[in-house]
Amino acid sequence: MTVKELIDKLNLKILVEDDLDREVEDCYIGDLLSWVMGRAPGDSAWLTVMGNINSIAVATLADVSCIILVENAALDDNARQKAEMHGVNILTTEENAYRLAVKISQLIEG
Amino acid sequence: MRELSLNVMDVAQNSVRAEASVVRITVTESDKDDRLTIEIADNGCGMTQEQVQQVIDPFFTTRTTRKVGLGVPLFKLSAEQTGGSFDIQSEKGVGTTTTASYVKSHVDMTPLGDINSTVKILIQCNPDIDFVYTNTTDNGSFTLDTRELREVLGDVSLDTPDVLEWIADYLEENTKSIYGGA
Repeated sequence: MTVKELIDKLNLKILVEDDLDREVEDCYIGDLLSWVMGRAPGDSAWLTVMGNINSIAVATLADVSCIILVENAALDDNARQKAEMHGVNILTTEENAYRLAVKISQLIEG
Repeated sequence: MRELSLNVMDVAQNSVRAEASVVRITVTESDKDDRLTIEIADNGCGMTQEQVQQVIDPFFTTRTTRKVGLGVPLFKLSAEQTGGSFDIQSEKGVGTTTTASYVKSHVDMTPLGDINSTVKILIQCNPDIDFVYTNTTDNGSFTLDTRELREVLGDVSLDTPDVLEWIADYLEENTKSIYGGA
């Protein structure tokens, strides 16, 4: 499953577009950035409400495929700039993390 | 971080790396003012204004192992997400003071955590550096100053088990008295 396919199947809105052909192999949910930093699996879709500059740094460190801001959580302007600079895909949805994760699970685990 | 005491540990270790000889850790908690303020002040090598901007930038670190350093940025975030504030004052050759101020009652307030253990571990791991820890609440205040301990101890190092046990007891007893615990 690529980020592009995820966007199409789940009707996600693109906030920052980089490499949409990246594979999504897993999913992780978390908002405490220091916790997520050491635990989010690489190549995963990271579901969070934290759209600040530190989230972009965490996404870069953990090497996730994309950030999905759930429940229409806001993306800060400086975070958007850093995401564009460092090539982090950022998507958004009005769904909450649980409901979105259930759908992602069905998609990547068949 | 799940506890602010871990942020204190992180910043104090930066002071150690900056070759400080004295590190002052001040925790001031007031229910009356709904504020918790943490200050870590050192007399280490200090930073230029440019370097200060770099340490609060999550994409910068002086370490070469990774391209982002998140200790200070996450400390800053923890304060700001409660409606508090964060500030670093630094001068080359003089030292650095980091201050994080929190609105205690905010729902996103991170617990202070086991600050006493943090202080004890810092002393244990850096027995040649002096630490001055002051904790203040609406009920009172106490200070642990390792320079005073050294005067009494003479040649005995601060990281000997008996001394560390005394420090732990001292911190625990005084914390109880100013937090009104049992």
